[in-house]
Amino acid sequence: MSTESNEPREPDDAAGDTGASPEGTSPGSAVPEPVGTATAPTAGATTGGPEAAAPAGPERAESPLAKARMSKADKIDRLAQLTAQRTTASGDSLWVAAFRRLRSSKMAIIGAVIIAVFVILAIIGPWIAPYSPTAQTWRGEVFSNRGIFVGPRAENWLGLDNLGRDQLSRLLVGARQTLLVGVVATVIGFVVGALIGGVSGAALALGGRTGQRIDTVIMRFIDMMLALPSLLLAVSIAAVMGQSLTTVMIAVGVVQIPIFARLLRGSMLAQANADYVLAARSLGVRRRRIVLAHVLPNSLGPVIVQCTLVLATAIIEAAALSFLGLGNLDAAQPEWGVMLAQAQRFFDAAPMLAVWPALGIIITALGFTLLGEAMREALDPKLRS
Amino acid sequence: MHIARSKVAVIAAAVSLGLVATACSSDRDSNGSDGGGSTERFIFGAAGDPGSLDPSLESDGETFRVSRQVLETLLDHESGGTELIGGLAETWDSNDEGTEWTFNLRDGVTFHDGEELTAQVVCDNFDRWYNWTGTYQSTALSYYWQAEFGGFAENESEDTPPPNYVGCEATEDLTAVINLEEPSSVFPGAFSLAAFSIHSPKSLERYAEDEASGEGDNISRPDYSQDPEAIAGTGPFQLSNWNKGNGEVTVTRFDDYWGETAGFEEIVFRTISDEGARRQALEAGEIHGYDLVAPSDVDALESAGFEVPVRGVFNIFYLAFTQERNEALQDIDVRRAVAHALDRQGLVDTQLPEGGVVATQFVPDTIAGYSDDVTLYEYDEDAARELLDEAGHADLTVDFCYPTEVTRPYMPAPADMFELMKADLEAVGVTVNPRPMKWTPDYLDTTRDGGCDLYLLGWTGDFNDAYNFLGTWFDGYSKEWGFRNDEIFEALAASSVEPDVEAREAMYEEINELVMDFLPGVPISSSPPSIVFADSVNPPTVSPLTQEKFSEGSFK
Repeated sequence: MSTESNEPREPDDAAGDTGASPEGTSPGSAVPEPVGTATAPTAGATTGGPEAAAPAGPERAESPLAKARMSKADKIDRLAQLTAQRTTASGDSLWVAAFRRLRSSKMAIIGAVIIAVFVILAIIGPWIAPYSPTAQTWRGEVFSNRGIFVGPRAENWLGLDNLGRDQLSRLLVGARQTLLVGVVATVIGFVVGALIGGVSGAALALGGRTGQRIDTVIMRFIDMMLALPSLLLAVSIAAVMGQSLTTVMIAVGVVQIPIFARLLRGSMLAQANADYVLAARSLGVRRRRIVLAHVLPNSLGPVIVQCTLVLATAIIEAAALSFLGLGNLDAAQPEWGVMLAQAQRFFDAAPMLAVWPALGIIITALGFTLLGEAMREALDPKLRS
Repeated sequence: MHIARSKVAVIAAAVSLGLVATACSSDRDSNGSDGGGSTERFIFGAAGDPGSLDPSLESDGETFRVSRQVLETLLDHESGGTELIGGLAETWDSNDEGTEWTFNLRDGVTFHDGEELTAQVVCDNFDRWYNWTGTYQSTALSYYWQAEFGGFAENESEDTPPPNYVGCEATEDLTAVINLEEPSSVFPGAFSLAAFSIHSPKSLERYAEDEASGEGDNISRPDYSQDPEAIAGTGPFQLSNWNKGNGEVTVTRFDDYWGETAGFEEIVFRTISDEGARRQALEAGEIHGYDLVAPSDVDALESAGFEVPVRGVFNIFYLAFTQERNEALQDIDVRRAVAHALDRQGLVDTQLPEGGVVATQFVPDTIAGYSDDVTLYEYDEDAARELLDEAGHADLTVDFCYPTEVTRPYMPAPADMFELMKADLEAVGVTVNPRPMKWTPDYLDTTRDGGCDLYLLGWTGDFNDAYNFLGTWFDGYSKEWGFRNDEIFEALAASSVEPDVEAREAMYEEINELVMDFLPGVPISSSPPSIVFADSVNPPTVSPLTQEKFSEGSFK
């Protein structure tokens, strides 16, 4: 983020040059400032204007330290840039190559299996749950005031919770709630983020001077949002809006907006420099049409990849918000975060009550993270042999 | 209401943003001080910060816990019981009508600032409260004065009741006579309330320099009430420091105390609002005791060698109806149906600490005036369904409020109790809209303002008189109950002015029966709130009124 603040007059340093192919140059492009400063890796250290670091490209050597210093915005821009390339050296589509790499990665397979199991359980959970998750059928058998709990037994495989409800049923039904929040939040983040990023990207790529200003304004707001720790931002939103499941979805969704916006914008800028856009421009195709029919569809790839990554964080954050008591108004409805929060009080007497939802959250997040990281690696040309 | 809530929400958001910047450092600070702390300090974990250091402005137990160690009242309760004994007054008496109360003060009592206790000082204290003006006349600052003595010398609001206080006279050096307009059953019990503690004359001069300001729910307390140096009492401890950043009030031993010198040199009341964190702090040895132990922790703490003395039962936990807000609830059959639908015994068995009992009326069974002939509402789902059907409200829908993140002496786990009651109500066909709220200010404000159909609340008695329970709720119309029942109101008014104790107790029994027939709410339970002390401490005697005297405690 630091580069922006160092260069008030140059609104687009990190992503403006994303058209640069690995060869380091791009054909004469119509973008006002076609060649930007260094891309992400050294962005923090680069203070000069476009002239100062003109030849820099993504090929620049990158130390682990520099990588660690990459800001969130830089990382997002880099992902946009990398995934914007259409073909690899071998001529295969990037996506085909990436998928092949994914298939051979154990990490990705494990992740995918976990996610598949989770999604299936979340969808069919309510039907296979042995009992109603909210019925306090056995409440006379649990004495939370005296630390007497009922552990696993023949009728209740995972035992009973503190109000005499079947723990297994609650876990199964809770999975759906968790997935639902994750998916809706991601959709909110995707739609709004894509809208903002699309406008910004289109304005900068094809809007001339005015477009540049529009982009600057939008991106500074986005950067501000990115600068806030995501969970903190979500908690603040949820606190202002009041407690409900919708709040959690919106809060977690809003947190994802800047990521999607920045990603789509970077990706669109990369496309804007492509030959086919130049061709379209020279043929006199109207700008609006170029953006909508050419640039946008071709830029959506990385954003869709991002969706899977975001789902993982969305699920964790949704559980965190519920854990903090900002989730569903009806606390009887099972949700992993709520279950964990409730079990916490009885951790000494019945640790398993907390262990089950915690395991659920950990394993699911692990699945999404494994798959997401594998996808990132598969798409990153730096890691390709 | 709505505006206030969103304001609170914005502040909450801002605070949460701010906390991130400060959280780490303040954590480190407090840990640091623990490591170097001397072993002579007795550290007690409190559930909340005191509102101020002047108990006359407050009405909550967290304030009184601190002030009772520092300031004393004319009358006191026996250690560990509810019987009245002499406090600053050695003996006391009233005329037959109960309108003239004579207090013979102890000789040789000195305040922390060296002043002597005289009858004139006592009168000056009462006159100060009586002559309060401006913001002090808000119930937020003078709740107890208005509840027990009515209004002020010059009432500034029409809502303020007429004063029952006539005046105070120092007839002799150590004899103070307090005159009342009418007899009232709150006396002499009210003279034991922490809110009517006697302050030093020098402190009174200092108080007069400050003013409280603001109105409504935006009142700022006067400066002196936040300043430990300004407040001097006669208690076994004197205030020495209030570190608001760490949430710590420190009191030190007063060596010239008229009674037995305190066992601890210094006591720190440290605010730890989270129940689990209090327990962890105790187990880690950071604190030597804390109040409001979760029932499920009692066994574990006992077996780990901590002392968990059992308090007497002196509270009522109830489910209240706000009849005005929901027309269906104005139908007695609907209220009866709700009472029948609740499995109160199950709730007591699974949620409340040992010693908890189902309440049959709005007073605990240890109080005079408890009736054995009230209407009982047994747990009976069929009866509940029938009553709802007959009343034509088989599809009853209610907004049910409950507080989150709080434990009260009468209510250890509000959210769980709500879940149990909700399931009970749903079982008889009632639709329940859950309305969870933060305890302060949302929950208390909303329920007092009549913003819920059903809500959970309770009361711990201040002194041993049924009027302290019944009068608190049913002495007249209030928004929180939203009903007018002149029979009950008048019966309570009559009992209040009845000077004969036995006649009064008989009246209370009748009132209890009246109330339970009318069923303005469902009394749920009475239960002993738990308190815990480390093994290294000789704990003070615990009090059913939650009025522990920490001066009785000492290190082993």
